[in-house]
Amino acid sequence: MTSPDVLVIGAGPGGYVAAIRAAQLGKSVTVVEKGEIGGVCLNVGCIPSKAIITASALVSRMRQADRYGISVTGVAVDMAKLVAWKDSVVKRLTGGIGTLFGKHTIRVVAGTARFTGPGKVAVKTAAGEEAFSPGATIVATGSRPVEIPGFSFDGERILSSTDALALSAVPKRLLVIGGGYIGLELGIALHGLGSEVTVVELTDSILPGTDPELSAVVHRTLKKKKVRVLLGAKALGWKETPGGLSVEVETKKGREEIACDKVLLTVGRRPNSEGLGLDLAGLPVGPGGFIAIDAHCRTGAEGVFAIGDVAGQPMLAHKASREGIIAAEVIAGRPSARDWAAIPAVIFTDPEIASVGLTEAEAAAKGIETVTGKFPFGANGRALTLDAGEGFAKVVAEKGSGVVLGVHLVGPEAAELVSEGALAVEMGATLEDLALTIHPHPTLPETIMEAAEAALGHAIHIYTGK
Amino acid sequence: MDSFDLVVIGAGPGGYVAALRAAQLGMSVACVEKEKMLGGTCLRVGCIPSKALLESSEHFETARDGLKEHGVKVAGVTLDLPAMMKRKDRVVRTLTTGIDGLFRKNKVARVEGTARIAGPGSVVVTTAKGEETIAGKHVLIATGSRPAGLPGVAIDGDRIGTSTEALSFSDVPARLVVIGAGYIGLELGSVWRRLGSKVTVLEYLDRILPGMDAELAAEAMKVLGKQGLSFTLSARVTGARLDGAEVVVEIEGKDPVRADRVLVAVGRSPSTEGLGLDAVSIATDGRGRIEVDEHFQTSAPGFFAIGDVIRGPMLAHKAEEEAIACVEWLATGYGHVNYDAIPGVCYTDPEAAAVGKTEEELVAAGTPFRKGRFPFLANGRARTLGRTEGFVKVLAHEKTDRILGIHILGPRAGEMIAEAVAALEFGATAEDLARTCHAHPTLPEALKEAALAVAGRALHV
Ligand SMILES: Cc1cc2nc3c(=O)[nH]c(=O)nc-3n(C[C@H](O)[C@H](O)[C@H](O)COP(=O)(O)OP(=O)(O)OC[C@H]3O[C@@H](n4cnc5c(N)ncnc54)[C@H](O)[C@@H]3O)c2cc1C
Ligand SMILES: Cc1cc2nc3c(=O)[nH]c(=O)nc-3n(C[C@H](O)[C@H](O)[C@H](O)COP(=O)(O)OP(=O)(O)OC[C@H]3O[C@@H](n4cnc5c(N)ncnc54)[C@H](O)[C@@H]3O)c2cc1C
Repeated sequence: MTSPDVLVIGAGPGGYVAAIRAAQLGKSVTVVEKGEIGGVCLNVGCIPSKAIITASALVSRMRQADRYGISVTGVAVDMAKLVAWKDSVVKRLTGGIGTLFGKHTIRVVAGTARFTGPGKVAVKTAAGEEAFSPGATIVATGSRPVEIPGFSFDGERILSSTDALALSAVPKRLLVIGGGYIGLELGIALHGLGSEVTVVELTDSILPGTDPELSAVVHRTLKKKKVRVLLGAKALGWKETPGGLSVEVETKKGREEIACDKVLLTVGRRPNSEGLGLDLAGLPVGPGGFIAIDAHCRTGAEGVFAIGDVAGQPMLAHKASREGIIAAEVIAGRPSARDWAAIPAVIFTDPEIASVGLTEAEAAAKGIETVTGKFPFGANGRALTLDAGEGFAKVVAEKGSGVVLGVHLVGPEAAELVSEGALAVEMGATLEDLALTIHPHPTLPETIMEAAEAALGHAIHIYTGK
Repeated sequence: MDSFDLVVIGAGPGGYVAALRAAQLGMSVACVEKEKMLGGTCLRVGCIPSKALLESSEHFETARDGLKEHGVKVAGVTLDLPAMMKRKDRVVRTLTTGIDGLFRKNKVARVEGTARIAGPGSVVVTTAKGEETIAGKHVLIATGSRPAGLPGVAIDGDRIGTSTEALSFSDVPARLVVIGAGYIGLELGSVWRRLGSKVTVLEYLDRILPGMDAELAAEAMKVLGKQGLSFTLSARVTGARLDGAEVVVEIEGKDPVRADRVLVAVGRSPSTEGLGLDAVSIATDGRGRIEVDEHFQTSAPGFFAIGDVIRGPMLAHKAEEEAIACVEWLATGYGHVNYDAIPGVCYTDPEAAAVGKTEEELVAAGTPFRKGRFPFLANGRARTLGRTEGFVKVLAHEKTDRILGIHILGPRAGEMIAEAVAALEFGATAEDLARTCHAHPTLPEALKEAALAVAGRALHV
């Protein structure tokens, strides 16, 4: 029986960050991982998807190079090379985590963990089984893609996001089921690499849950790219045909057979809470399979913490990491809690979407009166020098006090710009604070400043009336 | 004679922003600009055209050398310089005509001509049609700056030119010598290097990017050097002369350098010649800059000055901020610029961006501080972009943890610095920055990690 101070189950961005933070605070730490260090995020999520998006954006740019006064001929994709580069990026980052584990003397056990009783964990490894009775246990087992009736992942025709990230050739025709961020990011990337793409989405809008004003801009560019988007449409089943696959889709106008070569199924993710022996640990599993936690990431069972995708929405890497830090600090006796004002969300579509804090609708639902300012990238000098004038920045503030409640962007580099908004919301800044902060010229975040000015009624580079 | 609440001389980012903001505040405003295009140095021959060329030339270099690794193949890549210049001109035109539109909507009277101060509240404008006198309750001088010269170097606007010429070369010079390793020299040097020139940068000091943090500048020099810019430091240029089709640049104590073109980028001087400052006794300092108080009042009652023509960093956003502060003070009695939080950006690749104090300044002032540093090599987003050069450095007060300066060398540093400015402006501590949730995978996570590193607890190094 081994008894580290802290046992972490799962080495994704939740688990590995918790392990490092606990080690920084002087705890002895063991991490159990059944797959690869880095979890979904580093191996089959955020990182490889963004690498492929980078390559795809390069291809698109080369196809339009004449815009910049460059003539480029014979643009082609070498998928094997692209995948090798993507893999090298993943390997460098996961290798980096391994090195950090070594420096912090964190023990890594390759195997599958399950609870065998309150405060007791057994790990099945290649060599057999090892029993642990740790001081505290952090469950960071993450999530996995879900399937729908009629569609089961086979890695060949019906692909998960993981399969799509490992494609060795660009499919000629791709049908994406599920128009959430994962489906659209990968769909747009593969479109850039040469696929003909159709998106089938059950609800009435792409990117459900996103401010419709933002998703509308992405929807427009999808149309421009000739990506077909079917909204309010349900995929019923599929069959093989001589030329590939045929997917039956129920649309508002009736049933339709859509021909394609591969189906990418991205309809959501489910927490990995089964098979963990949670009942033996005395841990009830909540609605949707999530483990319920309190403000300190504590579960209902003594000494057991849960973080990341398995502990609830939003299923985002930085939320997992933040909870990892909190759990580790709480275990070390530090005052730490999930009391953030805002968690940003970023979507690497074309153009990107990024959002932090409340939208107007969310504020209204809370009974807060708001003022909003908007500024288009089309009136921003930097955006024009980048040939990226699509989209806008929007700042939402409380009426009267002017306290910034949310910052929402759709446009070039939106993901890199939103952190300023997160800081503003986190620090309780007002519109005037953002407006009076000197933003360098010419840069994209000038749009945030001008949106704040617009909310105050006096943006400089657009006319807002008197 | 037309008479206005405010007459603005110059329609650069200082002047046009002042005119627009004054109109918003209900003043009647005229803006005199001698050039056909509004927008000043920045929009016509500064920030905007330089960034347009930087972007195009970066794509050219990527097309030539930066694709293979990412699995993208191309058969042929050729430069169409006239088309590249046309795109630049189009971007400039879109933005400058945008200012025309804003002037119309805000009812700012635009006067095309050269202004001269005639007396208290009186400005004479020489237009195509003759002279015209306009009266202003307040007169705001925003005449900006022009490239400074160098003794012994005769700028002929062709082989030996300034940034203005280097934004419009008709061909790619085989050898380009850049005199001055400030941001303008490095940006335009980078443009022509990417397009095929062999570029030599001569700098009088023993370092590049004077004024920026020394550690950052040293790293930038290493990276830019690897890209092929060649640097000669501690080089005092004593002259440049034409020798047939070549230019010979003489350096004190060193061998002369031969080039096809020379770009003189040794700074900028305030533009006040012919402006009639003497007519109302407006005082200037030893460097020819108009002296102002904290409300931008000159020594002559009713006359104000902002932007490159007064003290402080010669930057567009500094001019804009002064414009707003000056005009708001006139209208409301309030208006203030925080000179401790003016960011600077150099748009090389990687970009260099900074706000607040440098390490040297803190050491010199004896301020106790702690330093957190985080390399982009360890940032996931940088890896996925294949752009991992550089680092973020956060300097915070040793006792209070208040952020004193942030210095970034890296991809999109110019976009990232806005958050740093906000942090400084809000009086944030390094811990505030570290505890703000940063989205993954994004570049500003490096800023968060550097803030964590201030307390010795970065996660990813
Ligand atoms: C294609 C794609 C793109 C994404 N892009 C983004 C993005 O851009 N930004 C963002 O914020 N989020 C993104 N996400 C979501 C992000 O990947 C997750 O939110 C994040 O990985 C959750 O971290 P985690 O630590 O909770 O779990 P995970 O990363 O899922 O890690 C859990 C780990 O636990 C291990 N494990 C599970 N059960 C056991 C067991 N019993 N014993 C031992 N080990 C076990 C698993 O093998 C896994 O390695 C993306 C996801 C996908 C699929
Ligand atoms: C190549 C280059 C790149 C640059 N890049 C950047 C950058 O990336 N970021 C940044 O912040 N700054 C940059 N700058 C600096 C920036 O352009 C200046 O700081 C800014 O333009 C100053 O604004 P201003 O309004 O004070 O003066 P200016 O922009 O110089 O405008 C003054 C205007 O006044 C007019 N004028 C002068 N005298 C008279 C007269 N007597 N009558 C009528 N009109 C008159 C001039 O024609 C001019 O249009 C760059 C400069 C150059 C040269």
